[in-house]
Amino acid sequence: MNLLKSLCKQKAFQVGAVMALVWLFALADWLWIHMLPDSVLHLVFGSITGLVCWFVYKQSKSRHEDAIVFWSLFSFGIPVWWHAGVYFCEWLGLEVFRAYFARGGLAVFFVTGLIWVVWAVEQHAQKIEALRRQAFNLENVLTRKKQKRSVDHKIWNPLDPDAWYYGQKSPRLNQSLNGFVSYTVLFCLIGMILSQFQGCTQYYDLPAGGGENQAVQQVVKVQKIIRKKFILNPYSAINYNTPELDDVKLELNEVTAHRYTKMGFGEGDGAGFAGGTSDGTVGFVRLEYPGGDWNQDFGIGGDMNMLLKYAELTGQKVAKKTKAYSAAQLKTFDGVRCPPLLYITGQRNISLGNNDIKILQEYINDKHGMIFGDNGGSRHFHNQFISMMQRILPDVRPVRIPTDDPIHTRPYQIARIPYVAPHGGEEALGWFKDGRWVAYYHPGDIGDAWADGHAGVSQDIWANCYRLGVNIMSYAHIQHAKWRLAQKQSGGDE
Amino acid sequence: MKSLSTLMLMTLSWLSLASPALAQTKISEMSLDRWAKMREVERYQLNIAEKYFKEKKYDVAMSEYEKYLSLYEQSDAASFAQLKWSLCLNNLRKQNTAIKEGFQSVIDYWPDSPDAAKASYLIGKTFVDIGRVSYGKKAYQETIADFPDDAVAVYSLSGLAEIAKQEKDETSLVKIWKRLAFDIERTKLTGGTCATAANSLASYYFGKGAFPDALDSLKTNYKDERLAYYVYAYVRSPLGTLVGNEDTATVGLRLADQAVSFLKQNLETDLSTDELKAKAQTQWNQMIEVEKYSRRDDKVLAAYRSMLATFGNLDAIMGSLADYHVSQKRFDQARSIYRQFKDKVLGLSKVAQSYRAEANLNEAIKVYKQLAGVDAENAATWQGEEAAAYVEVKQYPQAIQIYRSLVASDALNSQKWLWALATTQRDANLLKEAIGTYRQCENFPENYRQMAGCHRALKEYKEALVLYGQIIGRSESLAPWAQLQVGYTFE
Repeated sequence: MNLLKSLCKQKAFQVGAVMALVWLFALADWLWIHMLPDSVLHLVFGSITGLVCWFVYKQSKSRHEDAIVFWSLFSFGIPVWWHAGVYFCEWLGLEVFRAYFARGGLAVFFVTGLIWVVWAVEQHAQKIEALRRQAFNLENVLTRKKQKRSVDHKIWNPLDPDAWYYGQKSPRLNQSLNGFVSYTVLFCLIGMILSQFQGCTQYYDLPAGGGENQAVQQVVKVQKIIRKKFILNPYSAINYNTPELDDVKLELNEVTAHRYTKMGFGEGDGAGFAGGTSDGTVGFVRLEYPGGDWNQDFGIGGDMNMLLKYAELTGQKVAKKTKAYSAAQLKTFDGVRCPPLLYITGQRNISLGNNDIKILQEYINDKHGMIFGDNGGSRHFHNQFISMMQRILPDVRPVRIPTDDPIHTRPYQIARIPYVAPHGGEEALGWFKDGRWVAYYHPGDIGDAWADGHAGVSQDIWANCYRLGVNIMSYAHIQHAKWRLAQKQSGGDE
Repeated sequence: MKSLSTLMLMTLSWLSLASPALAQTKISEMSLDRWAKMREVERYQLNIAEKYFKEKKYDVAMSEYEKYLSLYEQSDAASFAQLKWSLCLNNLRKQNTAIKEGFQSVIDYWPDSPDAAKASYLIGKTFVDIGRVSYGKKAYQETIADFPDDAVAVYSLSGLAEIAKQEKDETSLVKIWKRLAFDIERTKLTGGTCATAANSLASYYFGKGAFPDALDSLKTNYKDERLAYYVYAYVRSPLGTLVGNEDTATVGLRLADQAVSFLKQNLETDLSTDELKAKAQTQWNQMIEVEKYSRRDDKVLAAYRSMLATFGNLDAIMGSLADYHVSQKRFDQARSIYRQFKDKVLGLSKVAQSYRAEANLNEAIKVYKQLAGVDAENAATWQGEEAAAYVEVKQYPQAIQIYRSLVASDALNSQKWLWALATTQRDANLLKEAIGTYRQCENFPENYRQMAGCHRALKEYKEALVLYGQIIGRSESLAPWAQLQVGYTFE
């Protein structure tokens, strides 16, 4: 207690505590609250990381004199570096590094904690044994030499190697094992609890504006050029060079252009959606699922290309980056203001638990969401996706979506499904429920066509893949905007 | 769900009123009468369009149908051209346009033509095909109401049954099946649909343990001997499911009794000729098979006893009984029956087989050696079986030794023994020896395929690639596979 009081009075400790609090608040805001602007988070994470590095560097010079302080400081630095690493990698769009930081940091954090637990248990055990040696009395021992320890009195303290449950044979080994197992179980338990913690409600606002769900029409104007006519006398003495019929060129000047309409839904200034907000943006959200490679072509150079193309072709405001959410995170979205489209891709397993399936059912049925599946490279994924949909919508059968369906004609006419490779066939499948497509499945890796390099396919194909992407995103957002308005009018959640 | 049932009932009552002088042609065909009424020029143009349609060149066919419509709009076949134009759109996967601008136009412009009924049905079917099940259901109901005398009403009913099945609406499903099975007069066009519904209904009733109802359903399709056969065919699977479940076992056993009793009544009793005897034996076997599904051992054995009493101790019947004992793992009883066979060689070979099934190699070998003595003419075959028995228990050296001796002694079948020897060597991981033996086989490309596999297992990739190359060059059917293997080998 005295040690704690004296610690609290130390200035360095006070500074450290304040830093820790600020860091914890920034962390909570980044993960769950989403209140602070990005610039503040940059500042907090950057400055605290820098300060911790400086403290560690400073302390490293005197680490031989006070090793415990140095290693304590170093250990506190680990979660700071871990989270800062993940945060800045995410901000920079370095998804691969983000994943390495996230997993590696967790492993280092676990090992660091384990080392401290082992050290603390050992220190305490040595202290107890030292005390016991001081109190050693040979006569007492001789009088009770045949009696077992446990018969004297049962020691319950787990830090004491003589505790009865560690046994007679190798109590120190059992104590270490106990420390390791208890720590691991506790670590996993806390991890599970934190992963279930969903934080505050998230919102996905549509960009304000209006527009029509019209097909982009190609307008061809043919301008007739009236050629000057000369009246010539064929019997004239003057020899005119009369051109042969074949030499006469019909001069048609084709003016070809796309007629752009304001894309969106409802009435409002600029391209957007009625009922949207000025801060609202169109985002590209994918599902982070266990079991496979959900992050195929994720972020800059991947699905971000699609989002930028969507902005270019529709004129709507889009988010600064694409996002990925787990099913649990998806649940934290508001009942109405949630992402209209959820992209799922990969080429391996989709291992969703019953809770995840329930969340996706709720997402489709109650939150009016739409799933956009994309086969990232195998027949296996095709089967995985179909069976996942069978679990989500057991009463709806997948059908081949007609090429004249609005999803294939507005805003762009898609005459034939463009694909990189027909991993799951050549036809797009759809799940139709309550008057709309609730899921669209692209069988041929559309995400790869959007990515940098376009998987080596011809321009016609990747350009069409972008158009199809715009159609699907536009369809999902318009359907959601209509539903949001209906909810508003009927006094729904909003 | 209740409203659906009500709608179904309404449509069914409509249908029951209809006197089914059902339609004349298939959905995509026009009747000969109408073809005959056409002018030569019209027929010529329609034939061109039909030709492209049959060749699945739907976009070209569409233009030809359009041409027909613009040239001969007033003709009798105009509605048919419009219908086929819509079907082209359907095949080009523009179903929404097909419904709105195609099928609907047939109904609107030619409401009295035979094609209007087809168009009405196709609207429902197309809606279902593109996932608009509720619209499809409505369209089917309208078809039944508007064209009750036409075959499309039956097809629509069948479509409604599919929807009910998908929606797990059992009540509606059974009602529709009943109507299709019992109330619709069957024609050439609708007979298949009704018969399928009747069979489905029978399966459903068997699954519920309602034997008389199931029998009534089957009676609408089959009579006499065929009826008994189809009872046997349809009752087994539901019976197995019912008996396998503790809660429904009683129902299952009752169903088994009823089915067996029915099959018994229909057994052929006239055994005067060989043909009749064979027929009766088949019926007996079917009856016993149903007993087997009921998992009542005593009843199965009793049935076999009755059969033996009726037909005498025929090897076939005794073999079937012994096989049943084997399936119940009563090997000794089975063998005692096999040994009573009139055909001693067959009996002994069955005995050896039963030892092999029991993994009793020594006894099996003894019997095979005995067989080689008894049936000296086929001694090589029995030695081959002996070697196969060794392979089964992975005693490869003994098997290889026998196969080697067979290659030397049985020159007529040397290829067969070489192949068996090579395969055994491969399984024994004697890959180099296996390659050498496969090389002597003459069944290209299979031997090259196996040799390449052995080379790959030995990490001799170049040799494997050479062999795959030879397969590509000489075997058209295996070339794609070999090309793929080349890729895998490089990988």
